[in-house]
Amino acid sequence: MKYTTSVNGITYQIEINSTHQITVDGEVFSVDFESVSHQPLYSLLLDGGSHEAYIEVDEDGWQVLHHGDRYTVTVADERTQRLAQLGGMQAAAGGREFLLKAPMPGLVVSVPVANGQPVEKGDLLLVLESMKMQNELRAPRAGTVQRVRAQSGQSVEQNTLLLVIA
Amino acid sequence: MINKILIANRGEIAVRILRACHELGIATVAVYSDADRNAMHVHQAAEAYYVGPSAARDSYLRADKILDAARKSGADAIHPGYGFLSERADFASACAAAGLAFIGPPPEAISVMGDKARARTAALAAGVPVVPGTDARAHLSDAELTAAAADIGFPLLVKAAAGGGGKGMRSAASAAELPAALAAAHSEALAAFGDGTLYLERLLPNARHIEVQILADREGNIIHLGERECSIQRRHQKLLEEAPSPFVGDDQELRQRLGALACSVASAVGYANAGTVEFLLDEDRNIFFLEMNTRLQVEHPVTELVTGIDIVKEQIRIARGRKLSRKQSEVRLGGHAIECRINSEDPYNGFLPSIGTITTSILPTGPGVRVDTGVYAGYTVSPYYDSLLTKLICYGESRGEALLRMRRALEDYRLIGVRTTIPFYQKLLDSHRFMAGKFTTRFLDEDFHVADKPPANPRIAAILATLVAHRQGQQTAHILQTNGRDTSNWKWVGRWERMRR
Repeated sequence: MKYTTSVNGITYQIEINSTHQITVDGEVFSVDFESVSHQPLYSLLLDGGSHEAYIEVDEDGWQVLHHGDRYTVTVADERTQRLAQLGGMQAAAGGREFLLKAPMPGLVVSVPVANGQPVEKGDLLLVLESMKMQNELRAPRAGTVQRVRAQSGQSVEQNTLLLVIA
Repeated sequence: MINKILIANRGEIAVRILRACHELGIATVAVYSDADRNAMHVHQAAEAYYVGPSAARDSYLRADKILDAARKSGADAIHPGYGFLSERADFASACAAAGLAFIGPPPEAISVMGDKARARTAALAAGVPVVPGTDARAHLSDAELTAAAADIGFPLLVKAAAGGGGKGMRSAASAAELPAALAAAHSEALAAFGDGTLYLERLLPNARHIEVQILADREGNIIHLGERECSIQRRHQKLLEEAPSPFVGDDQELRQRLGALACSVASAVGYANAGTVEFLLDEDRNIFFLEMNTRLQVEHPVTELVTGIDIVKEQIRIARGRKLSRKQSEVRLGGHAIECRINSEDPYNGFLPSIGTITTSILPTGPGVRVDTGVYAGYTVSPYYDSLLTKLICYGESRGEALLRMRRALEDYRLIGVRTTIPFYQKLLDSHRFMAGKFTTRFLDEDFHVADKPPANPRIAAILATLVAHRQGQQTAHILQTNGRDTSNWKWVGRWERMRR
């Protein structure tokens, strides 16, 4: 299986030849890859070099934490790439909604945005108090605020939908 | 006589105090809330009593319930740890009234130092300069504070009169920023302390936050155990501390002056037990009194490692009415120690608190490594309390060795299940300004970002992610194959959607 993998603006062509061999941009490596006791912790032996990382998936791609560095990696196989090319027009026109959910239980201190308000990436959407701290939840991308469900003074459970950026 | 101590706290500090008691052969009593039934301090204490629902105000802050538990258990002393009831003079008095030894300073010393204005007056009287600012007791309105701000000058800090630990504190670089800073500090102070009273203080440019650990017995003997460097702060919350301070360095005259000033502040308020006097030092090494913390500090282990003195045991010794175990001339500072406060926060997402169950906890060990922790694999981090999970403290003969040990220990630590600040410390320890010791209290907020440097190994990250994606793709394909026989339209739609992901 061939994959096109991008990280920090660099693209790699990676082919999984077998369980124990891969080719990266034409260079062949022996691999031994294990997940550590069913955790999101993985161990990779690459030509004898030992690497360990936490790997989780989210909306932006694969989040890899390796030696204190965090990488956001996108991985596309051949089929996904073809589909992406076919569906590219739609994706460009639409764009997915971002659902701002409470990352932890807490008290909504303020909601400085209103329905229909355009926001830029990094704008403050909501202040949530938890663990004795005021946490500022910010917009991960530009868009329009919709469906504001939270109001200041409200206690919310984890994963409560607070508002939507469309 | 003290034979049984109730620890009115939780988390790593409760465990730390338990250790000292167990080493001294003193019986121990823990208290716990709903959320903490399975906390480490409950498991390790000889006895444990329930004190109420999870929210701290219903349990750990309920002096009546804590005293009840002390009576039930037959404890003869209470150690308050830090936070919660540790700096409440009325609680210290209530302990005395109930015939219990309070392992901390006399109530009068707590109340003077708990009141910022009286603390400043006490420091001035002891001949210690203070940072220019308004009187915290004056209960000034926003308009009055705004007027006073012009005299103090910008940049300045808005601080909560009842505050501590950086809560209810905001900075304003100019008059334009003041209204927002006042509003934010107000609501945070009200939420944290139930008191929104604010005061202003000049913000010293390029200041260092350096504090001195003192010990005082009831006979009036006071010694200091050297200084701690606490300038590595994020929004006025300390994240990393070290002893000795690289800023003080080889300047023994400055070290002695700091120690002497700390002792005179403590003496001025009739202090007994362990305490910490915090100072700000400007670029020209001028010393300003900041505040005194009348309790055990989070960062006390770095001092323990460079002096060899167990501060918690000293606290118990002093509460027993005995003299200090040594004189000032017998306090020897050696080597270097660093502490990283490992919080359940995501350093790559604005230090947002993270909750969940810790699935794996493999502690770093080996030469020069100490871990003070309150968590274990299987423990669930709740949203009710401070996010501090564990403290990693490393010792070395030199600052360089301590730094390298810390780097190694951070790499060895496996704490999985919640996001932690471990990666933040790994990046911080790689920063040249930190390594060189050239940082001020503004360093983290202004000059350091966790994602500053380009990550070292994008190709390895790409290979790792591809291997995980491949593995998951294989599993998905396998599931689809086994269901392949009676493909309904709904399943077909589901498969199509899965492919488009």
